[in-house]
Amino acid sequence: MADAPMPHPDADKLTGMQHEKQYDFQLSESYFYKSEKGLNKEVIEKISAFKEEPQWMLDFRLRALEIAERKGPPKWGPDLSGLNFDDIYFYVRPQEQQGTTNSWEDIPEEVRETYRRLGIPEAEQKVLAGVGAQYESEMVYHSLKEEWEKQGVIFLDTDTGLKEHPEIFKEHFATVVPPEDNYYAAVNSAVWSGGSFVYIPAGVEVDVPLQAYFLLNAQNIGQFERTLIIAEPGAKMHYIEGCTAPTYNSDSFHSGVIEIIAKERSDVRYSTIQNWSHNVYNLVTQRAIVHEQASMGWLDGNLGSKVTMKYPSCYLVGNGAYGEIMSIAFAGDGQHQDAGGKVVHAAPNTSSSIVSKSISKGEGCSSYRGLVQIHEGATNAKSNVECDALLLDETSKTNTYPYIEINEKTAHIGHEATVSKLNEEQIFYLQSRGIEEDEAMALIVRGFLEPVAKELPLEYAVELNRLIELEMEGSVG
Amino acid sequence: MATLTDNPAVSAAAVEALTERLQEPAWLAEERRAALRTFDATAWPTERDEDWRYTQLKRFSIDGLEPTDGPADATVGDRIAMRMRDSDAEGILVNKNGRTIETVRKLEEQGVVFEDLNTAVREHEALVREHLYSVVDAKSGKYHALNAALWQNGTFVYVPAGIEVELPLGTFTTADRGGLSAGRTLIIADENAKVTFLDEYTSEPFDGHLFHGSVTEIVLKQGAKARYLSLQNWGRNVAHMGKMHARLARDARLESLTVSLGGDAARVEVESHMQGPGSESEMLGLYFADQGQHYNQYTLQHHEADHAFSDVLFKGALRDASHAVYSGVIVVDEGAQKTDAYQTNRNLLLDEDSEAVSIPQLEIGANDVRCSHGSTTGPVPEDQRFYLMSRGMQPEVAEHLLVTGFLYEVMSRVTLPKAAEYVERVVQAKLGVPGVKEKL
Repeated sequence: MADAPMPHPDADKLTGMQHEKQYDFQLSESYFYKSEKGLNKEVIEKISAFKEEPQWMLDFRLRALEIAERKGPPKWGPDLSGLNFDDIYFYVRPQEQQGTTNSWEDIPEEVRETYRRLGIPEAEQKVLAGVGAQYESEMVYHSLKEEWEKQGVIFLDTDTGLKEHPEIFKEHFATVVPPEDNYYAAVNSAVWSGGSFVYIPAGVEVDVPLQAYFLLNAQNIGQFERTLIIAEPGAKMHYIEGCTAPTYNSDSFHSGVIEIIAKERSDVRYSTIQNWSHNVYNLVTQRAIVHEQASMGWLDGNLGSKVTMKYPSCYLVGNGAYGEIMSIAFAGDGQHQDAGGKVVHAAPNTSSSIVSKSISKGEGCSSYRGLVQIHEGATNAKSNVECDALLLDETSKTNTYPYIEINEKTAHIGHEATVSKLNEEQIFYLQSRGIEEDEAMALIVRGFLEPVAKELPLEYAVELNRLIELEMEGSVG
Repeated sequence: MATLTDNPAVSAAAVEALTERLQEPAWLAEERRAALRTFDATAWPTERDEDWRYTQLKRFSIDGLEPTDGPADATVGDRIAMRMRDSDAEGILVNKNGRTIETVRKLEEQGVVFEDLNTAVREHEALVREHLYSVVDAKSGKYHALNAALWQNGTFVYVPAGIEVELPLGTFTTADRGGLSAGRTLIIADENAKVTFLDEYTSEPFDGHLFHGSVTEIVLKQGAKARYLSLQNWGRNVAHMGKMHARLARDARLESLTVSLGGDAARVEVESHMQGPGSESEMLGLYFADQGQHYNQYTLQHHEADHAFSDVLFKGALRDASHAVYSGVIVVDEGAQKTDAYQTNRNLLLDEDSEAVSIPQLEIGANDVRCSHGSTTGPVPEDQRFYLMSRGMQPEVAEHLLVTGFLYEVMSRVTLPKAAEYVERVVQAKLGVPGVKEKL
């Protein structure tokens, strides 16, 4: 038996942020309201009524339901046959009052306990500009430090965003990801609840991250958060999303839609470290519209979940726009990480970079699925895609499906992928220096992920390494 | 979206008439009938099907086309005659509109069989019956079911164990009338045998539109080696639907080259299944699309056994609003350890209106493997053009040189100098290099 991995030297900065491997914080279920199982018109009308939404939003939801019914689930990609909509609660409301609080004291003790175990309140004090916390279908907590509020930054849950800023909301909502886009976006559009609404005024640079934390506690629940981020010209921000759920025997479903509008010269980063328990179907649509000279970066870490289908995308619509997607995936036994990225070059002088690093262990399967599209007239576009896969065991699997469509002569496009296993010589060398075999393997895996991990704020890079160590535990038979 | 529709000429009656005319044995007639049933039961591909989403399907429509029933003129014609002279082949078959019109056989040695497929069905029935449809059957897709039911003629090659045929055997397929034609090739190389096969398509201008379906099955037994060259240079009124599929036993080796230069539209599928340890496949591709041509190229490197090697290199140039798709996949089965597999696609875009799509894919189920793929698309490098012009070259001449150089990486790996020369001449004629056209 191998020893437990050594704690990371920076671990003390993360008091309370370490994850227990088995997510053993499962709490009792008591809810103010839980919808009937299944997706139908009544559930949607009920959600809308609870939220006291304007008529246009209810109409939008019902139209999205029609689109979803017409479209049907995609016929490609991983096996989703275990996902049965008739067995899913599409809306679960943890507390009676609508809207969020900015004081942890106002949150029911049980829910607060969960976030405390995840270390959210501590992290908020230390490293974040603002925090949002979603529990089941509703955001329960949202706060923003005063200095940012004064500068006109808006950081609210999406439902409150709709109530308090209807003009900004209606102007941008569903313009990036319309319900027609894909089946799961249509389902989300029909039953969305919670998520963050972020507005950064022109020229404001929020230099510490905003974070939202998503938690699923009930069994057979579906979570459909909807995040809308608007960065006005010259604005700068970094948004971090974390996800987790306790382990149950039956499957849950998470299908978020994240829409980002990065206006001229803005700089937006969105980082997700997804660590759902291994029975969550995680089918997410993330997309950014990137305007002139703006820069958009997605960092997508997929460690948890049963099946993930997530392809963050950048639509480069302004001259000189830049899009970057960095993706890491770790697929353990029974997991299928179908991740990747999509960049559409629709304006001249745009550039993009996709870096994907995946690790498959045991019977795990990780896929890279990507699209780079250069429209006619998008002159001098440049794009580079790099996919590296590491296979730890004989039964591990990896797939690469890069689509490259080029309609412009002056484009410079490159794609490269490699597949390899852990290098025995490197392990041997580290062992000869007195490092245990499992620690040596973890070290090599961390080195493999380094190009992506270094893009994260220090605290999150440490957290990521810690999660990888947990996943690697017991790798040496 | 284009939707393909059934053609009443593809019918049970057509199958019966064909098998009757060819006086085929009962087993083959039954195979054809079964293939037609599969054809009828298989839906036409649509652009919603992943494998067909970049294919301009309407250009592969068989709507209104009648199965061809022999050529208008049964002579080989100047172009084929020239190819026959130039291609140092040891055995040559000429097929025109679904009939074999000429057979030249310089070899009669050591039991090598080189025969048109209709004759082979009669004279080498056991061999044909054992292998025909064993590599590509009607279930491989709508168009291949059509071929399995209605192939009119083709080529049969059998090289006995230990025999090495040095010079190529070749089939030249041509046409002088429009319609629907289908050819089939079956190549069997027994243990440690060696064979080279040239599969050429060309036509002089004629009225009407031709759809030609071609299926090639290659069986390589232990230690056998095959070189397979497909040179598609049809006239611009032809749609070509081709599939080459090889099955490799232990230590067998395949070297294939697929060239697409002619036709209005062409889709070729090149598949190699490495079923024996130590087998090797080199699959090269070269294409140059101009004047709105549409090329689709699919490759499959299927590593079923361990210690096998495969390498795909497809390079192409595009201009004049043409369209090219390369899609390939390396599949490594669980247990196929020590696999070495590579895949590269490079496109050169020579004008604004052309479009290149590249989808190099990997599906890896074993961990002790070396697999990589790469894809690049771009224009002729400006600095290289500038350098050549600074040495006094005209811009067109510099471009000709750079395109030829780009494609040379593929040509330099072809071990048949005469075939390589011919391809180079066709490319240069398409580029408009002065004085080349006359030599074709």
